[in-house]
Amino acid sequence: MDSRQAARNLEVIRTLMERTVQYQFLTARAGLAAGTLAGAGSLAFLVLDAANPWQFGIIWAFVFGGSLFATVLGTAVRSQESGERLWSRPARTVVTALAPSLFAALALSVLFFSWGQHLWLPGVWMLCYGQGALATAAYAPTPIRWLGLATLFLGAVALALGPAWAALMMGLGFGLGHFVLGTLLLVSERRASALRLHRSVA
Amino acid sequence: MKAVKRLCDDLDTMLHERGRLAIVSMLAAVESLTFTELRDGVEMTDGNLSVHLQKLEDRGYVATDKQFVGRRPQTTCRLTKPGHKAFVRYLDQLEAIVRQGRGRTGA
Repeated sequence: MDSRQAARNLEVIRTLMERTVQYQFLTARAGLAAGTLAGAGSLAFLVLDAANPWQFGIIWAFVFGGSLFATVLGTAVRSQESGERLWSRPARTVVTALAPSLFAALALSVLFFSWGQHLWLPGVWMLCYGQGALATAAYAPTPIRWLGLATLFLGAVALALGPAWAALMMGLGFGLGHFVLGTLLLVSERRASALRLHRSVA
Repeated sequence: MKAVKRLCDDLDTMLHERGRLAIVSMLAAVESLTFTELRDGVEMTDGNLSVHLQKLEDRGYVATDKQFVGRRPQTTCRLTKPGHKAFVRYLDQLEAIVRQGRGRTGA
């Protein structure tokens, strides 16, 4: 063995160790579905009144519920295809890392709605989401880290711009953000399947 | 050159085999893995993985635990303390070989 082989071995070891702790079941389709829903939710306020707490709450609850459903469905299909358990160790780790941010977002949503200040929520949600995404970054594909950083930044911008920009910032942060995430995951999924095909042919 | 050769000669042959190194690398990253998770991760057949696990178990590097989850048997594998120690030592040796090589080329 020479130093180049040793360096290659170290690289293989690192890749294997990273792959073991990463959660691989996030699907591109779920990201694209979440992006589409958030974009549609944002566009809905061209017709609806964002200042109305009921309309605002129902639309974004629908977007969140739909995105969650798409994620769970995509994950379930992926785990079935690979023959692995849905509620696996990496899945538990990711959910545990996400839980504090989700709880904070929920508690703050209740508070802001009760104050009648719901138009500040997009910035708050984006900050919570960004924090949650970064908390899972160690176990998730790399694009999640970028999404977390971008959403944190956009959350701060949304708070600085104020309530008038609420719907637009949601479309930008969650809509466009998830669209970019979905596209990046799609590229990495295609690469992974090309690699699998290459291995099976070789 | 002699130093690199000495380091290479000193490498743990149990870990130096590609398949076993992959198994130990995955187990070193987590507390434990099921047989299925390990098999899918290292992309081996059941038989091949069993053979390697048996060798690692015989050496005391890996411990396996068989239990039933519902009605299905499940084997869980984990790296033992001696296994972890041997893995860290192996990594140190690889790094030393890389350093020696860089020293020679002046990189």
